[in-house]
Amino acid sequence: MGNKQTVFTHEQLEAYQDCTFFTRKEIMRLFYRYQDLAPQLVPLDYTSCPDVKVPYELIGSMPELKDNPFRQRIAQVFSDDGDGHMTLDNFLDMFSVMSEMAPRDLKAYYAFKIYDFNDDGYICAWDLEQTVTKLTRGELSAEEVSLVCEKVLGEADGDHDGRLSLEDFQNMILRAPDFLSTFHIRI
Amino acid sequence: MLSDDQLNEIIVEAENVPSRVVPEKTPVNSSFSMVSSISDIDVTDSQSFGNPDDKKSKQLLRFSTSLNESFLQTLHRSPGSVGIDTSHENIQGQKLIASLIPMTSRDRIKAIRNQPRTMEEKRNLKKMVDKEKSKQSHRILELNCCAQCLNSISRAYRRSKNSLSELLTYISLWQKTFKVIGGKFGTSVLSYFNFLRWLLKFNIFSFIVTFSFIIIPQFTVPEKNTLQFTGLEFFTGAGYFQDTVMYYGFYTNSTVQHGSSGAPYNMQLAYIFTTGAYLIVCFFSLLFSMARNFRNNFINPHIYSRGITKLIFCWDFTITHERAVKLKQKNLSTEIRENLSEIRQENVKLTLNQQLIHVLAHLAAWVVSTGVAIACCVAVYYLAENNSEFLKNHQNPGAVLLLPFLVSCINLATPRLYSLFRLVERYETPRREVYILLIRNIFLKISIIGILCYYWLNIVAQAGEECWETLIGQEIYRLLLMDFVFSLADSLLGEFLRRLIGMQFPTSLGLQEFDIARNVLELIYAQTLVWIGTFFCPLLPFIQMITLFIMFYVKNISLMMNFQPPSKAWRASQMMTFFIFLLFFPSFTGVLCTLAITIWRLKPSADCGPFRGLPFFIHSIYSWIDTLSKRSGYLWVVWIYQNLIGSVHFFFILTLIVLIITYLYWQITEGRKIMIRLLHEQIINEGKDKMFLIEKLAKLQDMEKRANTSSFSMERRDVEQTSPLHVREHNAAHDLRFRRSVQEENPKV
Repeated sequence: MGNKQTVFTHEQLEAYQDCTFFTRKEIMRLFYRYQDLAPQLVPLDYTSCPDVKVPYELIGSMPELKDNPFRQRIAQVFSDDGDGHMTLDNFLDMFSVMSEMAPRDLKAYYAFKIYDFNDDGYICAWDLEQTVTKLTRGELSAEEVSLVCEKVLGEADGDHDGRLSLEDFQNMILRAPDFLSTFHIRI
Repeated sequence: MLSDDQLNEIIVEAENVPSRVVPEKTPVNSSFSMVSSISDIDVTDSQSFGNPDDKKSKQLLRFSTSLNESFLQTLHRSPGSVGIDTSHENIQGQKLIASLIPMTSRDRIKAIRNQPRTMEEKRNLKKMVDKEKSKQSHRILELNCCAQCLNSISRAYRRSKNSLSELLTYISLWQKTFKVIGGKFGTSVLSYFNFLRWLLKFNIFSFIVTFSFIIIPQFTVPEKNTLQFTGLEFFTGAGYFQDTVMYYGFYTNSTVQHGSSGAPYNMQLAYIFTTGAYLIVCFFSLLFSMARNFRNNFINPHIYSRGITKLIFCWDFTITHERAVKLKQKNLSTEIRENLSEIRQENVKLTLNQQLIHVLAHLAAWVVSTGVAIACCVAVYYLAENNSEFLKNHQNPGAVLLLPFLVSCINLATPRLYSLFRLVERYETPRREVYILLIRNIFLKISIIGILCYYWLNIVAQAGEECWETLIGQEIYRLLLMDFVFSLADSLLGEFLRRLIGMQFPTSLGLQEFDIARNVLELIYAQTLVWIGTFFCPLLPFIQMITLFIMFYVKNISLMMNFQPPSKAWRASQMMTFFIFLLFFPSFTGVLCTLAITIWRLKPSADCGPFRGLPFFIHSIYSWIDTLSKRSGYLWVVWIYQNLIGSVHFFFILTLIVLIITYLYWQITEGRKIMIRLLHEQIINEGKDKMFLIEKLAKLQDMEKRANTSSFSMERRDVEQTSPLHVREHNAAHDLRFRRSVQEENPKV
């Protein structure tokens, strides 16, 4: 096939194709989106694997993410150091997991990480409160929020230890067939 | 029995669960888990549809087991130590790589893709696996050339599949529009437009097939068209169009041959085989997409909960417009509040009186809706019967439009009437309300189509009219056209007016919401008509193509201008499963029945069309088989026809085999449901055990502290304390053993 791009070597592009759910064309299109975010920072030649990170503020201003209540958590989960600044690898990873080709288990794993605000490997009551607050934007009163958190823990906590583990989360996702289509960002 | 063995296998593999789930603190990364991998058996990759055998899924299960182990150990060391080269890490990495090497390259790539690791880790993993594999292949030089061949074939296949999918996404229609609609209105409204695009693909395919095999050959032997063209033909379909390729009657029954050396083209066979071919393709594609949707979206009904958890964790990430997000947040808050209050009201029991009233209300609503449907059907039949005399009395050519007009009015008014029943009836869940409304609407639409088919096949076809097939084709064309005009009017005028009215009284009505169910049913109704009509009017898929194209843009514009995003969560994926099921079951099977009756029972008209003069349509196939049996090279076709297609025994045996396989699969499913329930109970019990042990540990530590701070009476207290401790331990152990024995008894159920 006519391979006229000069951004990546052939091996790099093959590796990207094998490690993400994207085709060659989509990877190039995503690269140009990434480059558009910070044209001065991102070189047009990645054959030498430059170490370039686009800061979180620019990532969070993308039209696909700028109104999402969880954009900061998404960027933090997929970035290398958890600070939201993303390399091209992180960027491709993020959109690959959020694309419609990713399987349910992979999405559930990353969704769990996104909702786990304090990064302790469990979704505890505090994480739930943060989630509910972000979702409802202050429309619910504090006692309603805590009531909601109680109910969620009561419904989903299988081993009754007061917090949700990854298994509880995945079990709950199994009963929500809409999850695959809603945990999806179109780009 | 097969099911018991399978059950035992699953029990064996599942008994490993407790030992791995228990460790004190399993970090997130380590548990790409057992539970999910068991669920893999049921809910495997949505992509790999062509992968039904259990062996592959068991492979994946074992793979994720070993992965689990290696992850557990790897990250038990330190969270950020992926790059550190300790010898222990190396061993675990080797284990992972070793499990990846024996897989085929396709499976390996899929496994690597599905890993929850960063890109760099995946790349390194791939590099290491490739290195190991090349090292190994140096040693095993006599890898069969068969395997090498297969390898290169699979690589070429993968590359061609990639380029094909690239091509498809390139020509995929309306990608950007979908993004905008999804961004503003969410996944549920998008599912309607997805459905529209999917039906459009059906029609494009049908059109291509009929165009290439029927219409183009007919163009090469044109007959003179002596009728005049007036503008009215676009509405009535009669007149000038009667003698064009549009209708069945125009087609020749001869064998088209160009020159003495050209291949003969039998028009009769082409017509019947083309119809059969695209119906079979439609059948299989409907079946496969229904199965795929069902598999992805089916939930065990007894685990279904009306809970609040799904509202919290299923935020729609596809919504990107600021105002839409704010609106969705507000709606979510309202729904959460409703949910909270519902739970408080759940315990209120209804008195006997109230229950009786509810049942009566339901009964009355059903009686009224069925009555209305039957009344409409009777009206349609009566009008259809008297239509012919009516037409003879009134010479106006536009009078044929009366019947389609009536049908479209019924289709417009009656669903809205059904929605009004909501004021009288009370349902437990909104989901049930939507399903019942859908069932009533589909009953109405299918009965109208049914009554019309009955009229056409029993009365029009046997009335002795000239070219009755063309008449039916014209009727269907008019029905479709009138339906299209009404939909356009509804979208452009009706919804616009509704918005103006809503703006005048902002407090009460507000903007309307897109009624997905009603619109999808209209699409299904139109598609049913197209499927029936293609036999009589081969250009119909083309017309439907144009119709759908225009409808997409009209609905899109109307949506952007007149509607607001939906306020309640609509279970899009489950609904789509139901819609595709509706498209398949009453709609497509009805079409198959109608066409089967036409082809096997009806007499073609004597003067027009490809089957003129034959006693039945099917006789074209019979005579073809007869001619084939006289030629020596094609006797195998005749044999297949006589012994497989034409014989009853073959179908009997086939049906028996299919029933047996279905029964076996059903038993396996039942066994797995029991397994799921048991595992669920096991998880709960393990949790209780954990809490109990933690409590005991805390008490022990407490006691130690007290023992350390006290003086010489320590020993006496210890002796006193340990014996009740022993007793308690005994009881605890007894409890655990009791629980386990209860569990072991359960599989025997």
